[in-house]
Order: sequence, then C-alpha cells, then structure tokens
Amino acid sequence: MSLTKKLPWVFKYRPRKVDDVVNQEEAKRLFIDWLNSWSQGKPEKKAVLLHGPPGSGKNSLVEAIARERGLEIIEMNASDYRRSTDIERIAAVSSRGGSLKSARGKIIVLDEVDGVSATADLGAVESIMNLIENTSHPVVLIANDPWDPKLRDLRNACVMIEFRRLTKTDVKKVLRSICLSERLECEEEAVNYIAEKAEGDLRSAINDLEAVGEGFGKVTLAIARVLLRARDRDLNVFDVVRRIMISKYAWQAREASTQTDLAPDELIKWVHENLPRQALDPEDLWRAYEALSRADVYLSRIVRSGNWDLLSYAVDMMTSGVALSIKNENYKYKWVKYSFPETVRLMAKTREVRQVREDLAKLIASHLKCSISVAKSDVIPYLKVIFDNNPEYAAKLALGLNLSDSMIKYLSESRGDIILKQVDKFRQEIRKTKAESKTTNKVPEGRPGSRHTEKREVKSSKGLEDFFKR
Amino acid sequence: MGSRSALTELLWAEKYRPKSLQEMVNQEDVVKRLQVFVKEKNMPHLLFAGPPGTGKTTAAHALAHDLYGEDYRLYMLELNASDERGIDVIRTKVKEFSRSKLPVGIPFKIVLLDEADNMTADAQQALRRLMEMYVDVTRFILIANYPSKIIEPIQSRCAVFRFTSLKKEDVVARLKWICSHEKVVCDDRGLEAIYEVSGGDMRRAINVLQAAAALGEVNLSNVYKVVGLATPAEVRALLKTALFEGDFLKSRDTLRKLMVTYGLSGVDIVKQLHREIFSSEVSMPEDLRVEIADYLGEVQYRLVEGADDEIQLSALLAKLILLGKPLRQQLQPAKPAKR
Repeated sequence: MSLTKKLPWVFKYRPRKVDDVVNQEEAKRLFIDWLNSWSQGKPEKKAVLLHGPPGSGKNSLVEAIARERGLEIIEMNASDYRRSTDIERIAAVSSRGGSLKSARGKIIVLDEVDGVSATADLGAVESIMNLIENTSHPVVLIANDPWDPKLRDLRNACVMIEFRRLTKTDVKKVLRSICLSERLECEEEAVNYIAEKAEGDLRSAINDLEAVGEGFGKVTLAIARVLLRARDRDLNVFDVVRRIMISKYAWQAREASTQTDLAPDELIKWVHENLPRQALDPEDLWRAYEALSRADVYLSRIVRSGNWDLLSYAVDMMTSGVALSIKNENYKYKWVKYSFPETVRLMAKTREVRQVREDLAKLIASHLKCSISVAKSDVIPYLKVIFDNNPEYAAKLALGLNLSDSMIKYLSESRGDIILKQVDKFRQEIRKTKAESKTTNKVPEGRPGSRHTEKREVKSSKGLEDFFKR
Repeated sequence: MGSRSALTELLWAEKYRPKSLQEMVNQEDVVKRLQVFVKEKNMPHLLFAGPPGTGKTTAAHALAHDLYGEDYRLYMLELNASDERGIDVIRTKVKEFSRSKLPVGIPFKIVLLDEADNMTADAQQALRRLMEMYVDVTRFILIANYPSKIIEPIQSRCAVFRFTSLKKEDVVARLKWICSHEKVVCDDRGLEAIYEVSGGDMRRAINVLQAAAALGEVNLSNVYKVVGLATPAEVRALLKTALFEGDFLKSRDTLRKLMVTYGLSGVDIVKQLHREIFSSEVSMPEDLRVEIADYLGEVQYRLVEGADDEIQLSALLAKLILLGKPLRQQLQPAKPAKR
C-alpha cells in the first residue's frame, strides 16, 4: 500500500485494460487488428507507427495490450538510438526464436522515433529499417510527429495509426476518477482549469493534479491557478513570490525563482514584502524570517568577498527556506493581495527629505568634527528638540550654523515657518547694525557662526593647495 | 558678548571645544604627555583610542593648535570618517600631502585620520607604507574607538594614547562651567541626569545640555523631557506592538518610518531597542529581556558585516512576535491575538 502510494500518479493510474484507454477507438481497432494478423501468419507490415500529440495514450495502449495478452515489452527510446550496439541488441532479440508461435511472447517498442537526429544518429533510421526487416516479433514505433522527412522510409515500412488529441471532457473524466480514488476533495472549476491548461495532454494533466492534490490535500482553483499558471513562460514577480510561498517541495520554490529576471537581491525584497501577508502564525513567520535573514547574510557575504558561488545558498534560503518554514498544521493557503516593496516606494517618495537630512548631517559633522552618522544619531535629534520648542533660539542657531530654509523646515515641521520669519528678522537687524558700524567706522568684532567657519575653511583649503603645488 | 553676536548661536559642543591642550579639563595624563611633544617640537606617530566623546579629536586639534598656532589647519591634512578614505585616497591625496616639502620653520606636518578603525585593511596597509616613508616630514595621528581594528603593524609604529570615559565630576563641572558662561540656570540633579543619559560622552552631554537650556532651565524634568523627545517614541512603540500586540505588519510600518522618516540606521535602532528592553517602563519577564538582548547582538553583528537593515530588523520583529506569544495569551485569555 505504502509503495503504490509513492508511485507517481501517471504510473499509478496507467490504463490496465485496453478498454481503459480513453477515447481512441479507431486507433485501438487498427492496432489490435494488426497485432492479430501476427497470429494469422506473416503480417503485411511487421511494424506500426503510432503517432499523435503527447499524452494522447500511445504508450498506454501498447502497455495495456501487452498486459492483457501477457507480452513482454522490449523498449528503447530516443536517448538510446545513437548507440548502434543497443539497436543491434534489440535486433538480436527480435530475430531470435523465429518461429511464429513463440513470437507471441515479445513486443518491441521504439519510443520517440522522431527524436532520432538526422545527423548525429546517422544510420539510426537504417538500423531500424534492418530491425523491421529481420524481426520475428511485432515492432511498435511511437512518434509525436511522423511527418518528418527523415522518417519517410519508416513511414512506408509501417502501418500508420493516428491518435487523436483528447478532448477536455476526456481529460476531466480521468481527473475526476483519480480524485475519487485518492479521496481528494476536488473543485469542479479546478478540474476544469487543469484540463483546459493541459490542452489534451492527459499525462501533464495528471501530473498537475498530483502537484496540487498531493501537496495540499485538496484541489481548489486558487491553488491550481498559482501552482500551474504559465508553466513555461516568464511569470510576473507576484506570481513568482506566490509560487515560492505555496511550494511544498524545496525544488518547487527554487524553480519558481528561475522564472523571473529579477536578481536575487531584488527578489528578496519582494519575498520580504509579501511573506508576512501569507505566513500569519508566529512560529511560521519566525522560521520564514530566520531563513530570509540568512539569505540576506549570504548576499552581504557575496558583496564583501566577491564570492558569487554563495549566491545559490542565498537563493536556497529565500525560496525553499521560506517555503518550507510554513509548518503550521492549520495553515490554509488563502489568496491575498500582494504588493510592491513598500520601502522602495518610500525611498523614492522621500528622496528630497533624505537629501536635506544628509546635507544637514554633513554640515554638522564639519562643525563638530564628527562623523556623519554621529551627527545623525547624536546631534540632529537634540537640534530637533530645540527647533520644535524654542523658535527664537532655533533662529539664532540657524544663522550661526548657516542652515538652509529646507534644513530649518526639516528640523521643525510644526514651527519651521515661524523660525524662518524669525531668521529674516534677525538678518535685517544684523544688516542694520553692520551699516551702523560702517558709518561710525568701527572695526567689526570677530563674528561667531557661519562667517567665522567659512573664513577658516577658505584658509585651510588654500594651505593644502599650496602643499599640493609644491 | 555684544548684541550682534547674540543674534547668532553655535552648537555648544563646537563653541566650548577646547582650542588648546591647556584648556582641556580631563585626560590629564594624556594631555601632559602631549604637552611635552609641543615643548620639544617633536613627536612619534600617535594613535588615540577610546570611547566616543572623550576628547580624542579635540586633543588632536589642540595639539596641532599648540604646535602651529591659530592657522594650524595649514599644516594638517584632516580626513574624517565622512570623507572617502579608501585605498585610492590614501595613495593619492594622503601620499601627495605626506611627501610634500616642509614649510620654513615647521618641524613636521600632521595627517589626522578620524575613526581610522573604519578603514579597510587594504587602506591601512597602504597607510603603513606612507608612515614609514615620509616619517621625516609627516606625522600621523590616528583616532579610533576600537584600536583592535587597527592592523598590528600600524599599532606598533604609533605611540598609543588611551582616552578613558569621563568621570561624573568632570562632566558635571564642565557643564556647570558652560551654564555659567551662557547665563543658564541649572541644578545639580539636572546635570547629573545629563551625565547618566550620556554615559561619559561629553559631546552628547553638551548636546543634551543645550537642548535642555533651550527649554528654559537645566533641571531634572527638562533633561528627561529632552531625552524623551530626542528618542523617537516609535522605538518603544515598535517593541510594544511586536511583543504585546503581535502585529507584524503594523510594527514593520513603524520600523520603516524610523528608518526612512527619522533616518535612523539599523544599528541606531538596535541600540535604542537595547536601551528600551532594559528600561523599567517596558514590563516583561526578566528572562525575555536577556533573550531579546542576545538576538539584538546577533542582528547588530550582521548589520555591521553589511547585511540589510530592513530585513534583519524584520527578522527581529518576527522573533519578538514569537517571544511575545505567551505574554499575549496571558494578557487576553479570552480573545486570541489577531495575527
């Protein structure tokens, strides 16, 4: 029981009888007729070419018949063709025990013959032709596209049997019966969605059903949509993040990250933005953030060390690490709206304010001979207290430090305008006294504040220039 | 002070910075040794090490002032932490200055590198060569909070001066002296409180003093008011939202506000949170304080190593929400937490 449970569903639910093969009545009739012709003496053609779209039942029919009639299948597929020894081995088996009675025991299947390369497998078609010529057993060739020019000789040597593309109804019927056997709760819309997406390919439909149903214990449209949409093309970032969040296997989450052009250091921001909307349980959330913060640590190590090999570990942690941290038993996937990384938006919105703060910190750092970060953490907060509470004193400081209008407004949102007016008033007074002192021909006192600093800076830079000239 | 100069004001930390060694009121041992250099007009390379706000930068400038007079900046190349100080700058700007000829009557030039412990090892190696090659005309003064982050070969070429945290009496006396100059009313309890909140960092102490004075007089309540106003209330809100409400999205919004609007760095926030968790005004089980402190240490380490502020602090929030889960259940046994 446990063993069959682990079998992929496409094997587990292979047709056991010819009757189980879905909706290929014409192909079944032709194939059985041809096979029966072997027991009635030499058939007109010793090979058939089963052709049709993927997942339409070609292999299944062969297997079902072999099972019903107790035939042993000797199989070879595209990857083997270029090894002539393999074809010879098959040829040897097929020619052995040439009596017609014993011929019933074996059936030779060459899958994916359209995968034969015209150049790389030069002579492969010839070997197959030889095989057909000398065989004592039925030979079945299988191809999706039999009309390739290189297969022309084979077409002539075979009975051509076409498999029709399965309809959506056919596919849905099978999916529903699997849901029933698996005791899966299964939304009709979800089955419809999977069937539609499969485009007549029953094999891929069953795989999809398994991906959704086995991981989540039920088949809902929401899960199916997230997990299955656009398997082959680039996903938008929201879908990538959603796939990561919903993945039940490490590889699923990792694979999702390959379906976007977003660089890992961008992707991590998207996961970070939306993860807490999906992982609501505190333990899940913490595990997820533990993983995400490790991913971030790897990214920082890459920047420091230049060792790009570490990138895959960063990606592991931000995809699989996050996906697998959701362990809460009561967790149910729910569709929630995802959003663009808020910080990126905030940073763009506040660019001007941040520039003002940066300039202010630089100015203060040059006055106090400290670093910009000390200016930000140890000086600006206290300046803000002054500017918010004492406009007159703030205006004096603004003049002394030569602050710009935007810096003043930055330091006090509520009272910036009052301070600016006060600054203007003081400026006029200073101008007035300056004019007075000129007329009275007094030598101006050493002025504290900005002018003083400016003077000093001019001097010092001149001094350095002198040195560089030498 | 005349009426004109009363219309402008400077930061007191700049205004009352000692100009010469003689004016320095603390670090007596260091000052005495530096004064010998001035007297002999000679000195080795120097490394000033010690906590922030203990007078390292001030001593360096005062030393140069005493050596060269008012225009000392003519003979000193000063590179702050704010300036670019990578290996390229060392190889060009610093080298250029170090090798230049001596002006008449000047025994040597000085290169002052503040926060030298933030320089990369590469840049320090380049620096070490310059210190050897041009020692006849140029002396270096390196300033560092953590001398251990200065490479060994540089340390061994320098005379190391250790600056110690300022004593309470020294800080209070200096603040009182400033108050008398500024004609500001102050009391001892207010000044002592300033010492407590600034932890022996004179620069911060003077900043608090000036802000408290701007509120009226320097007393206990104004000092606490300043500290309260200067510490964004959001830091405590962050802690409380995460621990007691368990609301991740809300606390992350607060975090973003602190970083973007207040311009706090991740390390700033970690340090302020660290202060908060040991504050008596935030009640929580004692073992929780320790557990949070432990994780804060990890986060700070990661940030210093270059990790992303927002992601690491968000991980911290997730941790707080998890740690707060039993607290929230105790607080509201009937109503389960929203998130």
